[in-house]
Amino acid sequence: MWFASRFLIGLVVCASATPAFAQLEPDDPTTRGEALRREREAKQLVLAPYEQNAAERLMHLAEERVVPLLNRDGIYARLGSLTTGSGFAYGAGYRDRSLLRGRGTFDVWAAGSLKTYSTVEARASHPIVPGEWATVEGFARRFGYPHEEYFGTGPDSRRDDRGAYDLHGVVAGGGLRIAAGRRLSFGVGAETLRPTADPADSHFVPSIDDVFDEADLPELGVAHRFTRTFANVTFDYRQPVNARRGGWYRVDVSQYDDRRSAAVRFTRVDVELRQYVSLLAERRVFAVRAKWSTTDITGGGAIPFYLLPALGGNDTLRGFRANRFRGPHALLLQGEYRWEIWSGLEAALFADAGKVAFRRPDVNLRGLESDYGFGLRFNTDNGVVVRVDAAFGSRDGKHLHVVFGSYF
Amino acid sequence: MSSSAATSKGVWLLAVIALAAAAAVPPRSAAPAFYPDDPIWIDDDMALDASGVEPVEDTNAYDFVANTFGRMGERRDVGARNINTVGEVPDSSWFTNRVGRRAMTAGEIARGPDSRTSVSLDGWIVAGGKSAGVQPGFRMIDPSDGNQLYQIELDPPSNPEMATGAEMIGTAFYHAFGYATVEVYLAELDPATIVIAPTARVFDPLIGERRPLTRLDLDRVLRRGARQVNGRYRVLVSRFAPGQPLGNFRYYGTRPDDPNDIVPHEHRRELRGARVFGAWLNHDDSRGVNSLDMLVTDGARRYVQHYMFDFGSIMGSGTVFAQRHRAGNEYILEWRPGWLTLATLGLYTRPWLHIRYPDVPPSVGRFEGDAFDPAAWRPEYPNPAFQNMRADDAFWAARIVSRFSDEAIRAVVAKARYSDPRATDYIVETLIKRRDKVLRTWLAGVNPVVDVALSNDALTFDNAAVAAGLAEAPDGYRAVFSAFDNATREVRTLGETSGPSVRLAPPAGLPSAPDSYVRVAIAASGRMPQPSWNVPVHAYFRRTESGWTLAGFDRTPD
Repeated sequence: MWFASRFLIGLVVCASATPAFAQLEPDDPTTRGEALRREREAKQLVLAPYEQNAAERLMHLAEERVVPLLNRDGIYARLGSLTTGSGFAYGAGYRDRSLLRGRGTFDVWAAGSLKTYSTVEARASHPIVPGEWATVEGFARRFGYPHEEYFGTGPDSRRDDRGAYDLHGVVAGGGLRIAAGRRLSFGVGAETLRPTADPADSHFVPSIDDVFDEADLPELGVAHRFTRTFANVTFDYRQPVNARRGGWYRVDVSQYDDRRSAAVRFTRVDVELRQYVSLLAERRVFAVRAKWSTTDITGGGAIPFYLLPALGGNDTLRGFRANRFRGPHALLLQGEYRWEIWSGLEAALFADAGKVAFRRPDVNLRGLESDYGFGLRFNTDNGVVVRVDAAFGSRDGKHLHVVFGSYF
Repeated sequence: MSSSAATSKGVWLLAVIALAAAAAVPPRSAAPAFYPDDPIWIDDDMALDASGVEPVEDTNAYDFVANTFGRMGERRDVGARNINTVGEVPDSSWFTNRVGRRAMTAGEIARGPDSRTSVSLDGWIVAGGKSAGVQPGFRMIDPSDGNQLYQIELDPPSNPEMATGAEMIGTAFYHAFGYATVEVYLAELDPATIVIAPTARVFDPLIGERRPLTRLDLDRVLRRGARQVNGRYRVLVSRFAPGQPLGNFRYYGTRPDDPNDIVPHEHRRELRGARVFGAWLNHDDSRGVNSLDMLVTDGARRYVQHYMFDFGSIMGSGTVFAQRHRAGNEYILEWRPGWLTLATLGLYTRPWLHIRYPDVPPSVGRFEGDAFDPAAWRPEYPNPAFQNMRADDAFWAARIVSRFSDEAIRAVVAKARYSDPRATDYIVETLIKRRDKVLRTWLAGVNPVVDVALSNDALTFDNAAVAAGLAEAPDGYRAVFSAFDNATREVRTLGETSGPSVRLAPPAGLPSAPDSYVRVAIAASGRMPQPSWNVPVHAYFRRTESGWTLAGFDRTPD
């Protein structure tokens, strides 16, 4: 029936549309120019303004008003995570990357995450010599991470021993950065760090003091006042910033002194190497990362657990929860094979391995925790916008990470 | 009787009545095949008042989404609808025949739309921020030229001279093709002498409106540009087109508020054929948002003038970086290669990943001619007019490309004033290589008979592919002459003639009455380089008192 009616309607339309050639009527156009003009005059009778549809209006808003807010000077929107496990954070800031005749920078921002993490930070830098090879910088940050997790210290910590704590405090300091050429730079500086870890009030995770004896965590509830002095050297020849080739190497040495009572004094050394090798017009990238962290107590007391090297989470061992392993010494090895699917979208196969140890000699390749997985990354040359990593193969089961922001 | 049967019977009854009514209507008049003024060479699409046209500014995101995921415009294998009866594009607000219709010297081609030989920014004043585009820039006025407004744009620090050079070259070429383009110049900007007008403003996305432009705003722009060793900036200076900006045109549909815009853009020959020009110059950014409509006041009438705009992303330039490997080879989003790449963990490799680019100066970017395949060339995302391009559209454009001699190409590239002569040489050599491939693909791919003329004693024509040195001449040609009824379009064969050359003797008995028409079907015969040359073109001649004049030409008759 439907087909019959459509067929007949089509037949009628065709019959009426078939030209029946005859002599021109007196009012028919006699020239091509006249015929075209009449067509235009007919359209003139039915002119209508163009009206954008909802999708157009939405994209206009995004392109004209929202996206420019992310990278602008002055007031800007800040999106991304605050720390490993913070969840998606959003906020606003004010920055000026042309401070004092266009040479200095100033940036202050505040953001909160969906997991109620928060940070307020101010940072400024300014070159002090012609050629801008030496720059001084200062910063201050107030942070509140109310749902951090602790599983115990050492390689044998258990997932079931999960306790939540609230880490909050302020950091302020400054330093000098010296660029020795385009790739090599040195940094020295000092900061005051006042962190406090309190038992957390969480509906989903037991508080840390419900899981661990207070005797094992003497720093719980203590307002530390560390002075951290640091020196580092970095060699960076990645291309581009969201690297497809080159490398990034860094050694960072820190000395922590607890000014409160000189109860704690320790050094920490972090050595990190990242290497990128690409082929096929840089659309296939092999990326590896190795990080070794070690601490030495040079005074009395114990290193607060939250300042110990940690592994686990979306940027280290992805098959484990954030900061799943903590210890005085840690080793992390990561490898990724990334291949571009479309412009702006990459897939990745990855494998992570690592361990923490109480003794430095135990930082070796035996008994590594490991995982592997698959990921997708929406990216640009300047970084990863959003990353989805699914990790498998760990003794803690499967983990899915959705992360806003760049990665190694 | 069931309701269904009753309905069915009703439909049939209606159909019979409708058919009878259609048959009873007196024969309506139909347009003749050729009007007396055919072929027209000017389409007066500026005749009706268009002062009611409102600006339409597409965003990059919408243009991408609409053209990638939607099916915009009408996709049909039909001939271009704005051509005249001899298959050429009449002059209009969209297109002005230039190198395609008349000889232009290399110098004339290189000069392009420019009305000045050079510009100096001495005494110029910053008038505001740039409104769109990724290339860093701002606006200045020239007080010595009646405060004429110009746009200033910079090169990326990674590729000095690249984007500005591409703009200079692209503008000259597109102007010579026949499109309206704005005047562009190269100049040096000394940041120490910049003066900002008190009225200068810049759009602020935070407040959603324009605010006063400060020196700090300018410094941020300059920081994104390539600074020369002398502390100055090489800049592109684009003269604002006259009129009131209306945003961009689209490669599909028509402006609903412009009475003169009656041909769907996807059926415009000059927009379909722009695919050929885009392929030659690797203008992968040829899309709606890189066009410009201006409302022009000319005496008492107001009309929309259409511009091709923004050539920063042609050849090896990606405007703010060297062109990506994908550019010109694949859309931003093509499902099949993407899924294949994903599913095979990257073991499947797109062919363009294997293209090797020579070591050239950074001002060249990423550009080559050896692996270039004109037919496979792609813009950034689907373009409805490009997708509607047929063989005759491509031939029309390729014939324009064939008008660019090596000398003309060198003159245009010289206009970019690359500081490294290796850049100039490489771009010239690559453009010549790509031009030749374009011509082999599209000029020789269909029956290339052109410039047909009929006199009482000879039918003469030319073979564009042979004339361009792209192919050997066929063994011969044959021509079938028919009487053609201009009112009914009926044809009656009069005779056939053939011969080894492009000059054939017409058969006896051609009509001699004024306003009578003959149709001549011309094809190659014997051995020929391309089988498609065997498909005849149709030339239509009108008898006048002075002899036969060409009234129509159809390269791809149905």
